Amino acid sequence: MADMAAKNADAPLFLVEDVHFSYEGAPALAGATLSVERGERVALLGANGSGKSTLLKMLDGLLFPDRGRIGFMGQELSEATLRLDSFSREFRRRVGFVFQNADAQLFSPTVRDEVAFGPLHLGLPDDEVERRVEDTIHILGLGHLKERAPYHLSGGEKKRVALASVLAINPDVLLFDEPTAGLDPKTSSFLVSLAGDLHEAGKTIITATQDLSIVGDIADRALVMGEDHRLAGEGPPAAVLADRELLLRANLIHDHPHRHGGVEHYHPHSHVEGHEHGH
Amino acid sequence: MADGGMLPAWMTERPGGFEPGGPDRAVRQSALARTLLGLGRLARDTIYSEKVAARPGLMQGVDPRVKVAGVLVLLLLASLLRHWYLVLGLYLVSVAMAAAASIPAWFFMKRVWMFIPLFAAVIALPSIFNVVRDGDPLWVIWDFGGEVRLGPWSLGTSLAITQQGVRGAVMLVLRVAASVSLGVLLALTTRWNELLRALRVFHVPRLFVLILSMTYRYIFLLLAMATEMFTARASRMVGPASPREDRRFLAAGMGALLGKSHALSEEVYAAMVSRGFDGEPVTASRFRTAAADWVWLASTATLALSLLAGDRIIG
Amino acid sequence: MHIPDGYISPQTAGGLWALVVPAWYAAGYKVRRTLDARQAPLIAIGAAFTFIIMMFNIPLPGGTTGHAVGGTIVAIVIGPWAAVIAVSVALAIQALFFGDGGILALGANCFNIGFILPVTGYLTYRLIARGAAEGSARRWIAAGVGGWTGLNLAALLTAVVFGLQGELYTAADGSALYSPYGLATAIPAMMVPHLAVAGVVEAVMTSLVYIFLQRTNPALLQNYKTARAGGESRFELRPLIIGLALLLVCTPIGLLATGTAWGEWGADEVADEVGYVPEGMDRYAGAWTGLLPDYGFPAGEEGESLGEGAAETAGVVSVDAARKSAPAYLVSGVVGLALASVAALLSARFLFRGRQEGNRG
Ligand SMILES: Nc1ncnc2c1ncn2[C@@H]1O[C@H](COP(=O)(O)OP(=O)(O)O)[C@@H](O)[C@H]1O
Ligand SMILES: [Mg+2]
Repeated sequence: MADMAAKNADAPLFLVEDVHFSYEGAPALAGATLSVERGERVALLGANGSGKSTLLKMLDGLLFPDRGRIGFMGQELSEATLRLDSFSREFRRRVGFVFQNADAQLFSPTVRDEVAFGPLHLGLPDDEVERRVEDTIHILGLGHLKERAPYHLSGGEKKRVALASVLAINPDVLLFDEPTAGLDPKTSSFLVSLAGDLHEAGKTIITATQDLSIVGDIADRALVMGEDHRLAGEGPPAAVLADRELLLRANLIHDHPHRHGGVEHYHPHSHVEGHEHGH
Repeated sequence: MADGGMLPAWMTERPGGFEPGGPDRAVRQSALARTLLGLGRLARDTIYSEKVAARPGLMQGVDPRVKVAGVLVLLLLASLLRHWYLVLGLYLVSVAMAAAASIPAWFFMKRVWMFIPLFAAVIALPSIFNVVRDGDPLWVIWDFGGEVRLGPWSLGTSLAITQQGVRGAVMLVLRVAASVSLGVLLALTTRWNELLRALRVFHVPRLFVLILSMTYRYIFLLLAMATEMFTARASRMVGPASPREDRRFLAAGMGALLGKSHALSEEVYAAMVSRGFDGEPVTASRFRTAAADWVWLASTATLALSLLAGDRIIG
Repeated sequence: MHIPDGYISPQTAGGLWALVVPAWYAAGYKVRRTLDARQAPLIAIGAAFTFIIMMFNIPLPGGTTGHAVGGTIVAIVIGPWAAVIAVSVALAIQALFFGDGGILALGANCFNIGFILPVTGYLTYRLIARGAAEGSARRWIAAGVGGWTGLNLAALLTAVVFGLQGELYTAADGSALYSPYGLATAIPAMMVPHLAVAGVVEAVMTSLVYIFLQRTNPALLQNYKTARAGGESRFELRPLIIGLALLLVCTPIGLLATGTAWGEWGADEVADEVGYVPEGMDRYAGAWTGLLPDYGFPAGEEGESLGEGAAETAGVVSVDAARKSAPAYLVSGVVGLALASVAALLSARFLFRGRQEGNRG
């Protein structure tokens, strides 16, 4: 693997070229093109149904394009390559995916088994598995939940277990699908700062979100998915967030009438950022 | 835009004072309400048994593999014994084990007897009469004074409770009670993840154990989904729905649940693959048996063998 | 329809374990070939679904409630082989983790409810629905008939298992060691309420769910077909029917064989013990329908009420209680079982063949 990494040192981590995908005729991606470099922090913004989750699943080798290509460090990600034992094992060790729906990700009898699932299935020796499980559970503050069943946990705890189950693999690339959706402010700021630490440790982090308030904290580059299932724009978070016209087009914010002291007016409005203004 | 902004006028109307009127009818508990009740009870029971399993106690301390083996031996014994008093003895042993596991006696008895053994008693009742099953009369209720025939069937010469009938009925009820008692004891004193791991020792295929564990886990998710669905419906209902409507609603609920379940299974599959699953489950074995486990198994086996030997010697 | 521990002899339980294990292996093999690694979550969640819907109280006419098993609709959606494993897993969880339903009898329950029910239900559905358009009425009728047939065949097998206990296992003094009734009582007592009530509940619910899915989620009904087209293996009817017929024939004979092998268990004394008059007992026997005691629910909530509803009907049916020997009962049991399944499948096939051709013409 080491020489493969060396050989592809200059290839981007992910290269997505004109990717199309549809679910039983319903389009989810219609010509997405982008690339992500190693060590980058990227936010993927887009309204519901714009295809963010689909794109992340493709980056994780769980879905494959109907048309177009996806490259990972210079190698094509396809059903055929992932069927190769050595490739898929190495790929799964390098790329971790935290699903939006924690219930889908937590399928094991106990928190401990859940965290051990990845390392065990990726062929780590038993004592190494044990060590990683203990450490991950510790840094995520799940010690007291170790023997608990996932269905007993609260939403925030589930999210932390889901995160632990991925971090125990120690992936180099982390894909987060709407990590803060439905979480209380404390848990979401915990996640945001953990993502910061992981980035500092050199990991590549790609986050799909609609939560405009966290974009500045989790990304150095923002990509905007339009409702036409293609990339509508990209740039540094500050620039993208300032581009009202782009955000409106992507349906991330919307115009609607407000009445303030009898004055009716329209203004662009995002429901995730508070909405204070004086009149 | 109207006064209420984007809201239609009817949505901005305010209700008057709160004066429920009209004749009140007591509402019969609907099938929906019963289902909800049952779903809630399942969740509560499970949480309770997890609590019991986490308590310190004689049964809880035993290695799950040893415990499963021991309970299997006792279950086999319960179905092999031929004397009712020995089966009763076995039942009492299970009650004593429950006590040693610090399970409240009344709770244990209720859990066991409701409703399987009680039901067995109802089932067995007709068989104690000679008109149903032949035997030596124990107590003649009604002497017909001659053979009574009903078309092609003979009712015999009297209506009586038979010795064999009573013995058979008592036997059935005791057997069922002892078996259920042992089963409930195992379920209550073993954390389910331990039980799962114990199954591996009995050569249950890995994949089957994985499926079993995932099923158990997803039962609770579907339980929550179903409860939510029914609660939403129950809270919107004014007055009782007709059984026909209820049936339709339940069928729609099942259909929706089936659809959601399927979508969920795709997502779970993706999450498993993402973490390296390729169809072959891998498990770590973390079992340690202590001397106490062997003592427990040995005493269980001794009990079983001596009861069985006694049974055969008595004849 | 669950058999709790204590009702059947260990030999019977063992015999049915011996039947269900190969059935599981066959199912596992088929599933592996059609569904690859996707099988684990699909089956698990199918099993969880089965478990949950067994808890749905379905209102019946007359103010009582019953419940459906759902084996047939699950088989239609995830395929019959996956359904065999899914329903078995649901039964195993009830027995092991909730202490309900027998542990020794798990093999018997998995064979009857986990194997016979979904497979025959699905077969019936396939035979009737073959060639029908996706949204057609024939499809949901087929699903309902499948539900009814599957449930009743499973009930019939369960009744045979119960009945064999009364025939085969008696103590030296003639008292019953396990379930006390013979085939002549167990079969009608079990079948009348199942044919008339429980089977109808299953049929109605299966059809209603099917209609709901036709309207809202037709892709789900195509799911198994799609998976099958992707995999290498096809669901072949003929070997399955032959296999099923063999199993049906083997079941009671196998049980008899194990019974006699254990001579001391009194297979020889059995023949004298048969000769019942069913009146009077059918009142209670009707309650067999409710032999699915739910998790810690108050007694009688559904079992008894359902039974009462059926009891009147049950009382009407009489059995030829003339003294017959055990082998004769066995033969009649086997023949009855085989005939009922063949008749259900064939009649369904012929009933709808005319319509199908009519549709084409
Ligand atoms: N499993 C699926 N089956 C069918 N359609 C799907 C499925 N998952 C997503 N879609 C559809 O694909 C489109 C893109 O979905 P998704 O990638 O989940 O978007 P996002 O994550 O941005 O909300 C949506 O229209 C959605 O309805
Ligand atoms: Mg999404």
